[in-house]
Amino acid sequence: MMLLEAKGISKSFGGLSAVSEVDLVIGKEELVSIIGPNGAGKSTLFNLITGHIRPDRGTVLYKGEDITGRKPYDISRMGVGRSFQKLNIFPRLTTFQNVQASLFSAKKINRNIFADSCRMLGDEVEDILESVGLGGQSETLGGLLAHGDQKRLEIGIALALNPELLLLDEPTQGMSPGETVETTELIRGLVRARHISLAFVEHDMSVVFGISDRINVLHQGMLIFSGKPEEVKANEEVQRIYLGKSEK
Amino acid sequence: MANGMNRISWLGTSPRNAFMLAGLVALLVLLPLFLGQSWLSITTEMLILALAASSLNIMLGYTGMVSFGPAGIYAVGAYTTGVFMEKLGIGIVPAVLAAPVMAGIIGFLVGWICVRRSAVYFALLTLAFSQIIWTVVFQWYSVTGGDDGLVSVPVPDFFFEITNCYYFMLAVVSVCLFIIWKIVNSPFGMTLQAIRENPNRVEFIGVNVKHYQLASFVISSVFLGIAGSMHCVFSGSAFPDYAYWVKSADMLVICLLGGIYNFFGPLVGTVVYTVLTKVISEYTMHWHLVLGGIIVLIILAMRKGVVGTLANYWANRKSAAA
Ligand SMILES: Nc1ncnc2c1ncn2[C@@H]1O[C@H](COP(=O)(O)OP(=O)(O)OP(=O)(O)O)[C@@H](O)[C@H]1O
Ligand SMILES: [Mg+2]
Repeated sequence: MMLLEAKGISKSFGGLSAVSEVDLVIGKEELVSIIGPNGAGKSTLFNLITGHIRPDRGTVLYKGEDITGRKPYDISRMGVGRSFQKLNIFPRLTTFQNVQASLFSAKKINRNIFADSCRMLGDEVEDILESVGLGGQSETLGGLLAHGDQKRLEIGIALALNPELLLLDEPTQGMSPGETVETTELIRGLVRARHISLAFVEHDMSVVFGISDRINVLHQGMLIFSGKPEEVKANEEVQRIYLGKSEK
Repeated sequence: MANGMNRISWLGTSPRNAFMLAGLVALLVLLPLFLGQSWLSITTEMLILALAASSLNIMLGYTGMVSFGPAGIYAVGAYTTGVFMEKLGIGIVPAVLAAPVMAGIIGFLVGWICVRRSAVYFALLTLAFSQIIWTVVFQWYSVTGGDDGLVSVPVPDFFFEITNCYYFMLAVVSVCLFIIWKIVNSPFGMTLQAIRENPNRVEFIGVNVKHYQLASFVISSVFLGIAGSMHCVFSGSAFPDYAYWVKSADMLVICLLGGIYNFFGPLVGTVVYTVLTKVISEYTMHWHLVLGGIIVLIILAMRKGVVGTLANYWANRKSAAA
């Protein structure tokens, strides 16, 4: 059974069809990427899967269960973590607290009203920060971290949920080439070490072709191709629509 | 500080905080030795106001919910105690205990509706509900005494001695503040702060934001109810003014003055606000105007409130020295 199966999901904004009739599958421990030109509907697709937006049509199955139209907090509790294209952290909490807040929720102790939260779950939080390359920055306010570090913190917040499926929307966006390589390694490492499934949206083709088990190509809201990196390279339609253009 | 960020300090349990707290408590316990009757009475009122402001700040500073209607809930507490004692002849203990319960229930009903709407609508709805409470209090003569208020709440003689009253309020307020402090520093409190920082993101870490906002609203209401009840006990009376929007505005200003991102902000804000009010009103009839001007200046000069700004200053000095 596939971990995630989106069947014919569609979403229009006004007259614009942002995502149409997309069938997306993500297998267990699979590392898939989603590529496509700006406005292709990649972020919208993530928003449909994670409950941020309700699809107009189609169903989303997670572990065989229909999660279409469920609330984001329900879906994330089921083990779907995500990061966002635009920085989306808790700016005036420390880096430590950013991850800790997420961990409290994952462990369902965020209803505990009297325990002193100060260093609670400290080791686990530090481990997660370490694993995303933010060790030693615990006490810095999230909003004061460098851009690339905030992107990594996003991943840390999502990881604290202990997800089985992780969706990362442009994780290397705005990063230096060096940081991009680190983040690529991080993503590959996560899938291997934690045995999770991961889908990411990415514009950097070296990253995409470097680590994807399978590449999904979106174009004008439609999934026009899904296959192994070699197959994508060989596909003429994909080359014409997308890859050709992105070689600057 | 170029981008307007600052450390939110003084939320934790560092030894320095404990030390300062112990000093403060000692000072408060010894205060009746130094203060005359009238200042002691003012200080008692300050304690109650500080509790009210801190209760409001659970929502405002910790959860990021701007409520314009805390006075409505505060009045529910005051009138519950007042009506129970004066109209129903119920003893002071159950009358006081009923206040947070009633305030919590009303807070739940009001909050349940208000958290359905975000930000601006939330603020306006809370204002509307507090005005509804004010209207009910104002019109329901047979129970609330209408615009005359309740003026002869049969409070035990014990409270007529201002020193007794002061110590009683000090005890109640200290216990309440301690509980609030525990709450905001708990995992639950951390979740509230995450909601304040970014309610949308919190949904994606498995938190039902509306539930937590409602919980914050109810907890805030319970303590506002206690504050209202204490004021009724203190003054032996309750007036519709308690529910009026001006009272809500006072509480908001106090929080902003002291700094909403600090536990101690509303406490310091209360002292600054009360002292300013008393001092200025001795010099001029137009004290509202002067007070307003001074408050605007303080808030502009100290954007993080008095406590936030001072804490920043100390933090910067320490890091400069290190
Ligand atoms: N909430 C919304 N309301 C209206 N239109 C939207 C909304 N979200 C997305 N769109 C539109 O839907 C289309 C797809 O947007 P989406 O953000 O999914 O693209 P994308 O593939 O992520 O692009 P990019 O590479 O720029 O991030 C775009 O034309 C966008 O303007
Ligand atoms: Mg996008």
